[in-house]
Amino acid sequence: MNKLWIETANLCRHYKRGSSTVKAVDGVDLQIYQGEYLAIVGSSGSGKSTILNMLAGLDTPTSGTVHVEDIDLFKMSKKEIASYRADQIGMVFQSFNLIPHHTALYNVEMALFFDNTPRTERTQKAKAMLESLGLGERLDHKPADLSGGEQQRVAVARALVKTPTVLFADEPTGNLDQKNTNQIAELLSDLNQKGLTIVIVTHDLQFAKNSADRIIRMDYGKIVEVIKNGDRNESS
Amino acid sequence: MNLRDMLHISVGNLRRMKLRTFLTASGVVIAIAAFVSMLSFGAGMQENVASEFNNLGLFNTMIVYQKDAEKEFPHDLQEKDTLSTNEPTKIKPLNNEALRQLSEIPGVSLAYPYESFTISVSIDDSIYNTEAQVLPQIAYKTKLHKTLLYGEHLGSDSSREILLTNQFIKEFEIAFPDSLIGKQLIISAKASSVDSGLYAIVKSDSFNFVNKIKEFDFDSLRNKNYVTNILKTEANDAVQRFIDGYMNRNEIISDTLTIVGILDNGIGSRTSTKPILIPMSIAEKFNSKGAGRGAMDFMSMMSSGQLDIFNQKAKPKSFSKITLNIDQGVMHKNVSDSVKALGYRPFSFAQEFEQIQKFFFYFDMGLGLIGLIALITASLGIVNTMVMSIIERKREIGILKSLGADELYIKLLFLTESAMIGTIGASAGIVFGWLISRLGSFIAQSYMEKEGVDAIELFTMPFWLVLTAFAIGLAVSLAAGYFPASKAAKVDPVEALRSD
Repeated sequence: MNKLWIETANLCRHYKRGSSTVKAVDGVDLQIYQGEYLAIVGSSGSGKSTILNMLAGLDTPTSGTVHVEDIDLFKMSKKEIASYRADQIGMVFQSFNLIPHHTALYNVEMALFFDNTPRTERTQKAKAMLESLGLGERLDHKPADLSGGEQQRVAVARALVKTPTVLFADEPTGNLDQKNTNQIAELLSDLNQKGLTIVIVTHDLQFAKNSADRIIRMDYGKIVEVIKNGDRNESS
Repeated sequence: MNLRDMLHISVGNLRRMKLRTFLTASGVVIAIAAFVSMLSFGAGMQENVASEFNNLGLFNTMIVYQKDAEKEFPHDLQEKDTLSTNEPTKIKPLNNEALRQLSEIPGVSLAYPYESFTISVSIDDSIYNTEAQVLPQIAYKTKLHKTLLYGEHLGSDSSREILLTNQFIKEFEIAFPDSLIGKQLIISAKASSVDSGLYAIVKSDSFNFVNKIKEFDFDSLRNKNYVTNILKTEANDAVQRFIDGYMNRNEIISDTLTIVGILDNGIGSRTSTKPILIPMSIAEKFNSKGAGRGAMDFMSMMSSGQLDIFNQKAKPKSFSKITLNIDQGVMHKNVSDSVKALGYRPFSFAQEFEQIQKFFFYFDMGLGLIGLIALITASLGIVNTMVMSIIERKREIGILKSLGADELYIKLLFLTESAMIGTIGASAGIVFGWLISRLGSFIAQSYMEKEGVDAIELFTMPFWLVLTAFAIGLAVSLAAGYFPASKAAKVDPVEALRSD
């Protein structure tokens, strides 16, 4: 078993909607190990993206804890959480979230803005990363000039260029056709093979089964099932 | 991320919104241009005054007066009236001793009195009734009396030369002043003397002596009050007759001198000279004979104890003011304090200029305030632009936060953008302000020339004004950007990433 990297305990995220409370995440206990490929699946509104946001320090839990290597993430200052995102996390989103008025190269370079990488090195790294993902010809293209698959690969390049400890991917293939979905799936598997921890949120169970070491199925904010390496085990 | 990256991103964002940036910056341009042009006018006025003070040597000049009895010792005067005492006044006269003491004050390079006479001047066939002033030859080396319009200064204190001033030229409408240089001029004055005053007392008394004796009530001479009253009445009569005799002798004394130059008279009643300037030796000659003295001079001499009736040759010297020339760099306050300590009343042009500067400070503040109001209005444009920018770039803020940007970075990013608007606006505003001041100056000078007045530069743009305008433009832009930048920094990244 690899080293435990992230652990949540009784993690809750509740929202007030008028007089009622929406329990987006409700008492989730989760462990993520280094080098693991974890998929969180569930229907829309099941709380899978909310968990991912809290693991990335983008969202704050209503209660419960997230420990990253034994450090309570939400006892850190805002600046420390930002550094955690800058240094250890790469994120990929369904809608790519590239800045439209910057080139592919600059979008990737921006990921290195916050870890004090020198400017020249920054450009070289970004260029190399894009070339490694087959986008060498698209460096100066703006997102609008790229296909969906290319945009997502730029987003992956941006997430990977800073050599993160973990890659959080929120529905990375949600906006892609089958061909591009397969390409991204293959890319993520390769990265995991190289030791990168991946946590992916998807509603596509088959995609998860094909890629992940472990699958967590969520419903109404709770983990309802944990599936390991293709074996189905009932979770409490 | 360094400043260069931040500037790169900010420039990119502003360039993408060219029209909005242009319009927002235009507000700042107009406000800064108004601020600069108005303060440029204030600075120009101040510089003109300072320049005039400097050219006339006023920064090196202090005038010393006697203290004003009514202002300085009102309590003493009231007591005198009620008690009818003969206590000596506490007012120190400005006499030769005062001149010596004042000239010994550290930092005073020259002290000379103000002496003048009422005289008649005869040039060619024309006679002018005017006033003459005495200045020591060394005083012509001071800035205050240095500027000649024609000719040269007096050769020495004993030279038989005379200077006219432009006031003389103006007063008597001399068409070709330079033609007077080298001409002979006769000055003459009515003289009054102590001996004529004494003669008047004796002459009158001899006429009334027998009648006066007859009027005495010898039985009442034992009464102290009666004697006191008699003596008082007789003394008053004697003084009145003395003054009449002193004033009415009116002997004419005169001298012939050569006109060597015409002096620029300066401005202001405190420093301007009389229309004619004579050497000290001539003044002494006129003085010894009581030339030009009036009743007021007499009373002044009496009150200051300067009139020595037993020495007819005594020269009563009590001056209305003494001018001090102060060394460059000497604190006027120190000299002023020394003058006060000696018991006199100083008037320092440098200290007066400080008051003028205070006025200009408030004047500039008023002008600056108008510019600032415009700038505050322009800052609302910046707030609006930045708020719009945040709404439009909410997703970008979310992306940057997901990449590791902290709140400070987001705040700085937006502050950089507002600072750039301020920088562009302030820089262009300074240029526009300068252009407006040039236009204003051109119009004003054209008008002055048309009116036959010497054209002066009304506007000036000192470096401090450029720096201040730039700093204010930048500061107001930063202040305007601070609220939107703080709002941007607090944007919830999850919500931002979901936004369109």
